[in-house]
Amino acid sequence: MKRLSQLLSGCVCAVILLLGGHSAHGDSYPSKPIKLVVGFPPGATNDIVARIISEKLGAALGQPVVVENKPGANAIIATQFVAQAAPDGYTLSIGASGAMTFNPGLYDRLPYDPIKDFAPVIQLATFPLVLVVNPAVPAKTLKELIALAKSKPGTLFYGSGSTPFQVATELLKKQVGINITHVSYKGSGPAIAAGMSGEVSLVTSDGPAAVAQINAGTLRALAVTSPKRWPILPSIPTLTETGYHFEAVIWTGLFAPAGTPRPIIEKLHAELAKILKMTDVKERFRTVGLEPGGATPSEFSAILKADLDKWTRVARENNIKAE
Amino acid sequence: MELFSNLFLGFSTAATPLNLLYCLVGVLLGTLIGVLPGIGPIATIAMLLPVTFHLAPVSALIVLAGIYYGAQYGGSTSAVLVNMPGETSSVVTCLDGYQMARRGRGGAALSIAALGSFFGGCVATFLLAAFAKPLSQVAFKFQPAEYFSLMVMGLIGAVVMARGDLLKATAMVLLGLLLGLVGTDVNSGTARFTFGLPQLADGIGFVAVAMGLFGFTEVISNLELKEKREVFASKVGTLLPTREELRRSVPPVLRGTAIGSILGLLPGGGAVLGSFTAYVFEKKISKDPSRFGEGAVEGVAAPESANNAGAQTSFIPMLTLGIPSNPVMALMIGAMLIHNIQPGPQVMTANPSLFWGLVASMWIGNLMLVVLNLPLVGLWVKLLAVPYRLLFPAILLFCCIGVYSMNNTPVDVVVTALFGLLGYVFHKLDCEPAPLMLGFILGPMMEEYLRRAMTLSRGSYTVFVTRPLSLALLLIAAALIVVVLAPAVRQKREEAFQE
Repeated sequence: MKRLSQLLSGCVCAVILLLGGHSAHGDSYPSKPIKLVVGFPPGATNDIVARIISEKLGAALGQPVVVENKPGANAIIATQFVAQAAPDGYTLSIGASGAMTFNPGLYDRLPYDPIKDFAPVIQLATFPLVLVVNPAVPAKTLKELIALAKSKPGTLFYGSGSTPFQVATELLKKQVGINITHVSYKGSGPAIAAGMSGEVSLVTSDGPAAVAQINAGTLRALAVTSPKRWPILPSIPTLTETGYHFEAVIWTGLFAPAGTPRPIIEKLHAELAKILKMTDVKERFRTVGLEPGGATPSEFSAILKADLDKWTRVARENNIKAE
Repeated sequence: MELFSNLFLGFSTAATPLNLLYCLVGVLLGTLIGVLPGIGPIATIAMLLPVTFHLAPVSALIVLAGIYYGAQYGGSTSAVLVNMPGETSSVVTCLDGYQMARRGRGGAALSIAALGSFFGGCVATFLLAAFAKPLSQVAFKFQPAEYFSLMVMGLIGAVVMARGDLLKATAMVLLGLLLGLVGTDVNSGTARFTFGLPQLADGIGFVAVAMGLFGFTEVISNLELKEKREVFASKVGTLLPTREELRRSVPPVLRGTAIGSILGLLPGGGAVLGSFTAYVFEKKISKDPSRFGEGAVEGVAAPESANNAGAQTSFIPMLTLGIPSNPVMALMIGAMLIHNIQPGPQVMTANPSLFWGLVASMWIGNLMLVVLNLPLVGLWVKLLAVPYRLLFPAILLFCCIGVYSMNNTPVDVVVTALFGLLGYVFHKLDCEPAPLMLGFILGPMMEEYLRRAMTLSRGSYTVFVTRPLSLALLLIAAALIVVVLAPAVRQKREEAFQE
């Protein structure tokens, strides 16, 4: 009896070892489920992006692609997890510009380096920030708001849901020359709610939370921070059109740990580039206010570096810290 | 009347065989995960989101909503039977519900919980149907100053809630406040007490603490009293509540529903606050408050109605304004976005069959739940008779799985275990964990609102008393303090007189 059970355990071990160990060649990839790690709780913008593409990617690659949420610490936990994961292409990060380009300026020590620890695969989506005001505020355009703020310095309040948005607004404040006070909220949802109730006059927000309110008229949109007009609400002028050369584009991208073999990265990029061109994906992204991306790894790398330099500088100059 | 034609539309959408099936699946699943300690509706809804991609939007929402309020029903079951709050708002049910179970009235406790929940759920759904738009404005009246005063009132109430020594209760509340400080400060971004661990950057997880202090502690202390445990299990008693118990439950159910419905409207902790407030209220107006904490049926009826009413009304800000009042609603918004529906003020008018179908399905769901849960009471109570040496490993296992599934990190499980040990120490020192939980939840929120109110008032403290609603809440808090101290003062005077 003892001999038999030993034999059985030996067989089981052998089977497991055979199944478990094999190197990842570009051709046989993927041979087991892929994990997309998201640094935000389910329902957040990045999570929605992850879920939309995971479904399609799983169909294209023939292996399940699973979204795993590891929320916390402004996405640091999730980003660190992928930075330390094995570079075999089975653990990937849905990296938002918050974690990759803003955090280095906000924290003194980060447990990861956005450039050294990651290999960019593709930029998935971009979205601008939108400046909205409570309808009771006597400013119908951005110019009027700036005039109002200049006439009453230090009396107006603006809300934002996350530190990156605050950083962007501080840069805008400096460039435009106004003095408005920041009020923090835990996420764009509460920030938008505060704007609607009149608690704060202005809110810097991302798409999903703001769009519904703008369409319903409970909030008035003054400007978007992207270089071109926002397809989902083309009537909102850009900051550049209003006369201020200011750009803040927030993006979400797919990253693999540094050292992941090039064939795997190229295969992922090829499949995702196709997915981002699908009509239903484009439509779902647009509903949430996102523009599908598609930059190649090297283009994305350049964007990453440029944004990282810019925002790190802004955060340091304004002494904004998250820690 | 427009309401009737809307409801007709709703029922015709919700009562199709397919949607009825989805509703059933949702509430069953919800009850199941509510019963299992640790695993909660958030994790389940997140896991099922992809599955719902392929359903029609209204069916998807029906399933997900069913899971949410089904979990409220189920959460009471584990709270009553094994002192494990299956849902955050079931923490209060543990206090008297578990005591009722130990005295052999477990069946009655479960039945009252089911019936109270049904009543609360139905009334709140009616409020949702009839007064959704005006009620959504209530949330707007609450600005940071009001929230702060509400929290202060809640904290004073926590001390009132305590069974025994006033000093110990106050100490536990303060300890809870201190534990709540761990994490990142919202306003300045400074990390406090995190010891450099990113897992603590968002604070100690509530679920981990609740599981540890209530569930693990109970297991540890039960293992200590081996013989007594079996005596309690054998005294099962009648399954249904006696007429006396039913009669005594009616007023608390009504009051609990009212309190829960209103507090559920407030984003951020509304539903939890509802069940705590209902409990404290009942205790304060009761003729014999010492019964509370020893198995008073009012202590089960009120919070249960409150938490189900709150669960239903917390849909209002989400459906009418597109603002999530808790993480589950944020998920539902995510689900709507994935189905290409823009959540917001226009949902009611642009997608009436979605809105009214969902509302109608809530009634149907509540009915299904009470029909399912009442007969199941007998089955659950039989679980108590399972030998403890088999039961407690299962409880601990499910707990750990549930806690891990929150954030996919083992740190949470370690935290739960640590709090289990801490809870055992408290048990030995005769200190109650419930005031600590309340301090833990309310403390950080109080601080966030205090600082925001001060920022918006530019450093002026008078904002808390010049705003009428805030002033009213602070006055209630002051009244509570007086009420709590009055007997102690009277006692001291009597002692002084005797000398």
